[in-house]
Amino acid sequence: MSDGCASEHCITCGDIAVEMTVLRVDDARELALCAADDGRHETVEIALVLPVHPAERLLVHAGTAIAHQGGIL
Amino acid sequence: MRFVDEFRDAELGRAVSGQILSLVEPGRHYKLMEVCGGHTHSIYKYGIDDLLPANVELVHGPGCPVCVIPMGRVDDGIAVAHEDGVIFTCFGDMMRVPGSDGSLLEAKAAGADIRMVYSPLDALRIAKQNPGREVVFFAIGFETTAPSTALTLKRARAEGVPNFTVMCSHVTIVPPLRALLESPDLRLDGFIGPGHVSTVVGARPFEFIPADYGKPIVIAGFEPLDILQAIEMILRQLAAGRCEVENQYRRVVPYEGNLRALEVMAEVFELRPHFEWRGLGFISHSGLKLTEAYAELDAEVRFSVPGIRVADPKACQCGEVLKGVIKPWECKVFGTACTPERPIGTCMVSSEGACAAYYNFGRFAREREVV
Repeated sequence: MSDGCASEHCITCGDIAVEMTVLRVDDARELALCAADDGRHETVEIALVLPVHPAERLLVHAGTAIAHQGGIL
Repeated sequence: MRFVDEFRDAELGRAVSGQILSLVEPGRHYKLMEVCGGHTHSIYKYGIDDLLPANVELVHGPGCPVCVIPMGRVDDGIAVAHEDGVIFTCFGDMMRVPGSDGSLLEAKAAGADIRMVYSPLDALRIAKQNPGREVVFFAIGFETTAPSTALTLKRARAEGVPNFTVMCSHVTIVPPLRALLESPDLRLDGFIGPGHVSTVVGARPFEFIPADYGKPIVIAGFEPLDILQAIEMILRQLAAGRCEVENQYRRVVPYEGNLRALEVMAEVFELRPHFEWRGLGFISHSGLKLTEAYAELDAEVRFSVPGIRVADPKACQCGEVLKGVIKPWECKVFGTACTPERPIGTCMVSSEGACAAYYNFGRFAREREVV
């Protein structure tokens, strides 16, 4: 089980999206290394929210960014 | 409001609660359905219903991805997981959903190679690491999750990963809402619309609710003040005799949704003629399957899937809970034979399930005291 499922319940099953901060972007593969607020790092699909830049906040569900947060919740 | 603390501010919450009180007509009973399991979870986690007048009732809807998976579909997954050479992957809570002869977790204990993953991309990674094995991803969830599966399928095809397939059990949110609105045993006054699903599909798909059924719907975020404000907006519509789609969660949800996500989904998925929902039965055009173009990545094409319909246990009343006809604690087995540790029904499995939310946040004891 990956860290994302390490809590009592699975956030993906729960239809929950989490905010993450972009650390590094691989434009060619449409992937980004992102950090959750708890410090966990994860590779995220960014194809649905391109363009993406480091330090941006993304809403991530099941390893895929589904929306920009624009710095606010 | 810009930051999370403000969305949990007790003073602001009480102020919105006061506005809600000023909008309700004494003697009228309001039934509002929160569609999304995430809202159910927040409502009981933060005690939002305690801030509402007694005549405003929140009814829990069918928006928990795990809760709506029927037993037969779990059995199908277990059958595929037992095939020689298969590594079967799925999200965490799905492991504990009971089938007719146990759960995926029990099948794993019995020797099947079943692994929990956080994302479809994790499952694809496992496939690349195990080229001699067949890796199947059990895809569940609404439109929030379906784009992730679609992107992974496109990636699997582009990278030429021949040993990766998807057993698609994705569902869509609009058909069950229509089914609920057609249901004679449920009278609703309005809907708190799903926040994260709407991030993908936008607000437009919900326009039929006011247009065809004359009910207001307000798409809402998941913080306590989001939900309270959405309730206030619904009641304001009702007080003014309006019914519209409104978007309380504008900081995330564009009215048109995520067009790129919708494009990807349209390329990879098509609607099934029918799909079975736990407790709701078969609903037309409510489930997704892979398109012909992606048939080589379809586990239901590559493997033999029993596809046998299995009736829910008689004692379990998940169907009535999912339709909002009864409260979780009114189910005969709630908190006794059915608990989060040993769930009988799906609503007790996921934290978004109405029964689990009631149980985990102590509503069981409180409701019983009131009775």
